[in-house]
Amino acid sequence: MDFVSFALTQCLSALSQAAILFFVACGLTLIFGIMRVVNFAHGVIFMLGAYVGYTAARISGSFIAALIVAPIVVGIAGIAFERLLLRHIYGRREGGSDLLLTFGLAVVLSELIRLAWGAQPLSLPAPEPLLGALFILGQPFPVYRVFLIALGVVAGIGVWQFLERTRAGLLIRAVSQNPEMVHALGVDVGLVRSGVFGLGCAMAALGGVLAAPLLTAFLGMGTNIVIDAFVIVIIGGMGSFLGSVIGSVLVAFVQVIGTYYFAELALAFMYLLMLAVLIVRPGGLLGKEE
Amino acid sequence: MPLLECRGLVRRFGALVAVDGVSLAIEPGEIRAVIGPNGAGKSTVFNLITSTLKPHAGEVFFAGEEITGLPVHRVAQMGIARTFQRCHVFPALSARENVRIAAQARDVRRWRFFGGRTVVAASLAVADEALEQLRLTRHAGMRADMLSHGDQRLLEVAMALAQKPRLLMLDEPTQGLSIEETDRAVQTLRGMLKKGDLSVLLVEHDMEVVFKLADSITVLHRGRVIADGAPDVVKTNVEVRRAYLGESG
Amino acid sequence: MIRFGIVAIVGALVPFAVPQYALTVIVAALIFGLFAMSLDLMVGYCRLFSFGHAAAYGLGAYSAGLILIHWKLPLLIGIALAVGITVLVAIPIAWICTRSTGVSFAMLTLAFAQLGYAMLFRFRDFTGGSDGIAGIPRPPGPFGMDWFQARNGYYFLVLGCLLGSYLLCRAIVRSPFGAVLAGIRENEAKTVALGYNTRAYKITTVVLSYGFGGLAGALYAGFAGYASPELFFWLTSGHVLVMVVVGGAGTLVGPILGAVFFVFLEHQLSQVTDLWPLAFGAIFMAFVLLAPQGIWGFLARVRKDSNAAA
Repeated sequence: MDFVSFALTQCLSALSQAAILFFVACGLTLIFGIMRVVNFAHGVIFMLGAYVGYTAARISGSFIAALIVAPIVVGIAGIAFERLLLRHIYGRREGGSDLLLTFGLAVVLSELIRLAWGAQPLSLPAPEPLLGALFILGQPFPVYRVFLIALGVVAGIGVWQFLERTRAGLLIRAVSQNPEMVHALGVDVGLVRSGVFGLGCAMAALGGVLAAPLLTAFLGMGTNIVIDAFVIVIIGGMGSFLGSVIGSVLVAFVQVIGTYYFAELALAFMYLLMLAVLIVRPGGLLGKEE
Repeated sequence: MPLLECRGLVRRFGALVAVDGVSLAIEPGEIRAVIGPNGAGKSTVFNLITSTLKPHAGEVFFAGEEITGLPVHRVAQMGIARTFQRCHVFPALSARENVRIAAQARDVRRWRFFGGRTVVAASLAVADEALEQLRLTRHAGMRADMLSHGDQRLLEVAMALAQKPRLLMLDEPTQGLSIEETDRAVQTLRGMLKKGDLSVLLVEHDMEVVFKLADSITVLHRGRVIADGAPDVVKTNVEVRRAYLGESG
Repeated sequence: MIRFGIVAIVGALVPFAVPQYALTVIVAALIFGLFAMSLDLMVGYCRLFSFGHAAAYGLGAYSAGLILIHWKLPLLIGIALAVGITVLVAIPIAWICTRSTGVSFAMLTLAFAQLGYAMLFRFRDFTGGSDGIAGIPRPPGPFGMDWFQARNGYYFLVLGCLLGSYLLCRAIVRSPFGAVLAGIRENEAKTVALGYNTRAYKITTVVLSYGFGGLAGALYAGFAGYASPELFFWLTSGHVLVMVVVGGAGTLVGPILGAVFFVFLEHQLSQVTDLWPLAFGAIFMAFVLLAPQGIWGFLARVRKDSNAAA
């Protein structure tokens, strides 16, 4: 019985991890699917969400405020970046400009965060009702993580329905397959792109706020998560929403198992995993040699 | 012994069987055209021979050796040179440099870091000769992407020639060319092919070009060979007419 | 060659013309110049964008540091060994990374660099963990040479390595091998179809790139006397990538200029403001957007246009 309850709590732990990963990976894969741009800054945007959430919670005293404000603020900033800067490099003959530009953004954002909030980790505690633990088969399990799982499921279903059922979702799917055709039908493809980029950033920022109570908001949370997100998108397939869901769950489980058995390698583990994935599927995001 | 032999090549893309048991053989010095309606599988057969795609069944033999599934560069090294349907050159480099790099590929000394002058000189000589054959010498110094479409296609052929191949594979060499450019290309090719025992495998849509150049024709339809032989014979073949014109009976 | 000679002569005269404290900054700039030039082989000539070139730098620095401290071999031999170690480690890294292209390649290089970073903390008894290793000496020899122990002497060592490496890289890039790299850059599929094993070329380029980067790292270890984990951190990879792009990728000289430009700017500005790294990133983004050919690339085009007009 001991083992079963232990395994169960580990599984739930992995699922709560998967929820956070999902928020980041889903945004990354949608952005790639729409614009063929790999947003290297996605991890830093996640981090920005955590910090903005911290400030929002500090000012308002409410965690919920953070959950609402951070995605909106970061989403708008993302749209601004896309409209002002990123769109200038679509369709450049020599590839790599998107890599470099989003990398530059990552550097700039990291610095801005450091300047604005300082180098010390900042703590953003979960709200009162979510503190404490449930007892599952005799083992304690944090309520907050249950909340994460619930939120992850809701968001997953929400995005899925949004893509499948709404007109906006239809447009997004169409643009990711054939932007010229959609443009010929009179749709402002640029608007769709900006919207998706903003949405992706907002989701990542939400992930950051959610992760903050677990990790604290610290410089460097961006680098690790962007590698995780990248692995997920490789496994799940570029531009594939379903892939980001499956990938997030898989990666989360691997992480939980890995940290348990190979605790010493914890820091290096995701890098080893990414190496393993890319060795098996060197085609990476596109699934075939570019 | 045939220079190139394909036996029962099969290639699927999902549920679509693009190439369904294609066999053909080319003798040294032969000029073979592969024709067929759109979607017949011509370019796929090309890609299977050059190993750009791997077949799901069947083998390819070159000069008696099996080359099925070898890495693309190894197939090229064995003496097969090809051009691409969508013209592939090195855009920012000069026409001469384009062909020189092609010529250099056959030189075992190409790995040199130092003392490369002799290698460069040797490949330049081959390059200039190929440019001459394709009547591109006056454009030799121009950037490849500045050339006219027709000249770019001829440049690609020059590059293929500079590889000193035994089998030259041309994928729709006259596509996108004006009538006048096509005439010039055909004349140039014909003059070039008359001498020597270079074998050619040619995918073409333009029937006039085919009849002017080819010794023999293979007709593909829906991934299968439906006719194979001398141009006159193929011209009158009922099945071929049906495939192209949809005649009934 | 004439221009090179002029540069060499000017370089040789520098220590006698500038105050001593300036020389320290100049040496740092030259070391980074070598580091940036090494990355240019990959980025500029092969279009292999690396986010993990810090690995070469860190490997070179730590190898040199550990060898010089523990084995007390002569400085020059220690540096040479460090380069050799970097090259050896680079071979499997290059082999794995070149299986992918584009973003996957970049992420793989980043992964290796971050792995190196993590390992520094894992094996902290050996590497000093977050403190790094300090007190790296410049042992004399062989044959009792010790001219490099002085500040001026070390300057000449670094200058010599930079100039020598530049000549080597230039020869490589202009060789038949280099022509194939141009082909890979312009159209890799075509290069393969011509019969070139492009994978082997890419692996070689990456290994060479790491080798020169390792040399820069080793020189840094001897220069600063210590090696710390930041050398492996992704921001270091980022800085050198910025230097390459801003200086002008694919020119060898451009990245060196980019490095010198940035080291000097950083030295001047960081005393004045804390906003320096921010400005760094912003300048980088501006170049990517507006002048992707970099400073040197821009100057080269200006010169070509004026030649054409003349």
